[in-house]
Amino acid sequence: MKLLLMKTIRAVFLMLLTVSTIGLKAQSDPTGESAVTRTFAITNATVIQAPGKELKGATVVIKNGLIDAVGTNVTVPKNAQLIDGKDMYVYAAFIDGLSNTGAKRPENMPRPNNLFSPDPPNDYAGITPERSLVDQLDIESNTIGSLRKEGFAISHSVPYGRMLPGSGSIILLGDKKHADDLVLSKDVSMFTQFAGAPGAYPGNVLGIMAKFRNLYRNAENDKKHFDSYAQNPSGLERPERDRVTEAFFPVVTKQRPVMFDVSGVLEVQRAIRLQKDLGFKLMVGNVKQAWDLGQMFKENGTNVFLSLDLPDAPKEAKGKDKDEMTEEAKRLEARKMDFYKKYTGQAASLANTGVKFGFSSLDVASNKIKANLLTMIENGLSENDALAALTTNPAGILGIDKIAGTVEAGKIANIMISNAPYFTKDSQIKFMFVDGDKYDFEIKEKSAAGNGNRSAAAGNDPVVGTWTYNFETPQGATTGKMIIGKEGSEYNGKLTSNDGGPDNDMQEVSFVNGTLSFSFSIDAGGQSVELVVTGTVTGKQYDAEVSVSAFNFSTPLTATKDDGQ
Amino acid sequence: MKKNILILTLILFTGFIANAQVKKGDVLIKNATVLTITKGTLENTDVLVRDGKISRIGKNLKAPNGVQEIDATGKFVMPGIIDAHSHIALSAVNEGTSQVTAEVNMGDVIDPFDVSIYRALAGGVTSTHALHGSANVIGGESETLKLRYGTTNPEEMKFEDAPRTIKFALGENPTRGGRARGIQPSSRMGVEAMLRNSFNDAIAYRAKWDAYKADKNPRKVAPEYDLRMETLVDILDGKVLVHCHSYRADEIYMLMKVFTDFGIKKLTYQHANEAYKVASELAEFGAGASVFADWWAYKLEVYWSTAYNATILTRNGVLTSINSDSGELIRHLFHEAAKTQKYGDLSDDEALSLITLNPAKQLGIDNRVGSIEVGKDADIAIFEGHPLSVYAIPVMTFVDGVKYFDRATDVDDQRIYINPEETVENISIFNRHDEDRCMEEGVVSFEALFSNKK
Repeated sequence: MKLLLMKTIRAVFLMLLTVSTIGLKAQSDPTGESAVTRTFAITNATVIQAPGKELKGATVVIKNGLIDAVGTNVTVPKNAQLIDGKDMYVYAAFIDGLSNTGAKRPENMPRPNNLFSPDPPNDYAGITPERSLVDQLDIESNTIGSLRKEGFAISHSVPYGRMLPGSGSIILLGDKKHADDLVLSKDVSMFTQFAGAPGAYPGNVLGIMAKFRNLYRNAENDKKHFDSYAQNPSGLERPERDRVTEAFFPVVTKQRPVMFDVSGVLEVQRAIRLQKDLGFKLMVGNVKQAWDLGQMFKENGTNVFLSLDLPDAPKEAKGKDKDEMTEEAKRLEARKMDFYKKYTGQAASLANTGVKFGFSSLDVASNKIKANLLTMIENGLSENDALAALTTNPAGILGIDKIAGTVEAGKIANIMISNAPYFTKDSQIKFMFVDGDKYDFEIKEKSAAGNGNRSAAAGNDPVVGTWTYNFETPQGATTGKMIIGKEGSEYNGKLTSNDGGPDNDMQEVSFVNGTLSFSFSIDAGGQSVELVVTGTVTGKQYDAEVSVSAFNFSTPLTATKDDGQ
Repeated sequence: MKKNILILTLILFTGFIANAQVKKGDVLIKNATVLTITKGTLENTDVLVRDGKISRIGKNLKAPNGVQEIDATGKFVMPGIIDAHSHIALSAVNEGTSQVTAEVNMGDVIDPFDVSIYRALAGGVTSTHALHGSANVIGGESETLKLRYGTTNPEEMKFEDAPRTIKFALGENPTRGGRARGIQPSSRMGVEAMLRNSFNDAIAYRAKWDAYKADKNPRKVAPEYDLRMETLVDILDGKVLVHCHSYRADEIYMLMKVFTDFGIKKLTYQHANEAYKVASELAEFGAGASVFADWWAYKLEVYWSTAYNATILTRNGVLTSINSDSGELIRHLFHEAAKTQKYGDLSDDEALSLITLNPAKQLGIDNRVGSIEVGKDADIAIFEGHPLSVYAIPVMTFVDGVKYFDRATDVDDQRIYINPEETVENISIFNRHDEDRCMEEGVVSFEALFSNKK
């Protein structure tokens, strides 16, 4: 009896021990969705460890969220889940240099009553450098998954806001339980953009340049004051606490770089002018016009993240249209094409100048990333330079090259696996590892991918029906219904508004290769303004961007197809 | 592909040269009628330019090896025209959210892609004074530009070492802005009060910093830094030339009293339609005036205008220039100057000085430009027909000896950057800065679209 009791106690004890070694995950996951093991081995694969460094028939072992071993002569651990890497290509997962990935756009602050426009409150002026991306992080954000789907495991993400929205953080693009779990490195940059406050100072680029100088110079003085007070406060005027100036301290001591969102060639040079005046460390992101700036970047040592967005290729006139073109029209078209080539060729020209740039996904629809990369490669960018710009360069610029950017033992297991060399038209991503967690993707049959739209149109049209949309305007979210119909091969539709506004007809509705686009006009005090909406339909989800070219402004629109359709 | 790379390398290499230094040219202009402005009119004369400077003026000059020769027989050579009031080549004009913005700087917002620059070159203009708008009592620092069209680097548009200048504004424009926002100033009295308050603040600020600098205590604490006050102090210390938008004689006189009280001497009035009423007072103060030739009737405060303004000011010894304040007028400032011969009978040299040497003096760049003299910058315009003739046609324009406009090889499409998604941008000569001359109310914003709706 006593023996039995002892045995039982021992058994219970052992059981407890076993349970505790299985780990917290199993214990706290009644859904049973957790991975059975976090040890993986990808065998017999082609491993591109780093740009230009390829291993054939190699094995990659992943353990405890890290890359444990890489090579052709690697022992596969017994508890590893095996992934047959035959015909598979293993890359370091990509790193995005600037985006709002995972961030939730906060409500815009309403215009305060009796606003004194020359000196508005900091919140309204958009001067909030003390804020952090981490406070806007939302684990539910679909931007995390959609960027991961394109091969990215890390993003340098910045908060939404105006001139100084807050600091950017480096985040992991995994499915996590808590926002903090996403954060790889907190507050690594001070994010700045030329976005003025509506009807208040600083209202435009003039005021923003001056305000930045003023904040910076004051922070330099305040830092000295704080330091000498910390050394010996006796007899010294007490420095006043000020969250804005204190947020500048790591910038003036050059521990934290300034990340500028500067898409145009003039904006980039304005950021560089500020840097030359003040002396901070500078990163420029979302750069769209860099073909004249290579030498300047090189001489200044500016860290650059090119936009992954590209303009649409000019349509070449054909047949009768071409015959009827005047000489002048032909010259204008030729210049458009010249400049399209500058946009698509600038990555190559920067690489040839010796600028080690990365990429930014800020303004690109995620489903266009790969096509745009291939366009850059067609226009002279080498595959090695493209891969470096997606992996090793951003890792170096962001200071995470010890833990990310290559497939090497000891680094975080951020890995992308595709079914063909990635930079080929038909390659598809089969697996992603982010922070050692595996994500599987369906490989689409080639024919289905190409003609999905045609077969769907046969009756079960993916876009026809009623959708509920959500449109972020600077004044807050607008919601309503998006009703799409079809006559013959032509789509039509209207937008209704839940806040009582008139219906708007959708113009030029098109649905091609999963991209739904249309435009609509709104009345702005007697002036008609056209808004262009374009985005991707995934099942019942529509993720789009609304742009108003007249204001160089864009904002997201999302819609969900109503049930029962 | 290799060829592409070669071309790219070439492009980058030339880009590098341009970065290192602005382009300087060499040229020999032969057998022209040279309107020197300062040394009379020289018939059948040659002008030799070396490395961007006028190196010799004389007869039968020989072109040194490799220097291009231009036959200007029957043509007129004059100094490049200088526009002392312009808003071309700027991405933004007003920081109109505050009524004193001495801290902002037009040098931050130069737009070298503005096609208006080329249009101005085609009117013989080589320099503009790029001013802040007139929405504010004290606007921002201005930037004197050389029209080196074709560069993509805003820094290369700057007139090197030109003195600092700043825009002030009196009258209807700043008070309209004040009333619209419910802030000071809402009247001309408020404008004066605001000026005096600003300078008194600056004096207090200067005293605080002087005391700090004199303090020997190693643990001294710096006062708050204020870029706005820094600029105002520099105005008080005579380091910044003031250019003040004004119309009425009473406000023109008021500003001279304010400046006398604060010991500020360097002052040019812009527009100054009623300056003729206080011409002798301006001369006594030493203030200049940069006026329109005959532009009036666009608002109440210009009611008492006269086309004789420039002549009356000139005859009273006031340093006077004629400006455009417009992307359109800037193309024919020589006609604007010629109007002073119809209204006031100024001499050729006097009339041409209004658009060359006099604005150069008002901008503090007359040691470099404004006349055809050995040692000055080769900023030169060549005309077919006398520039004061109604038949005058500008044919070539040089900045630093580099030809930026040639009527013979003029290309239709002068845009520098093209949007590949747009057939042709919506461009007109009457761009928004010109419509209300200096009075940009702020284009409707994206935000405003949605606030209108609600």
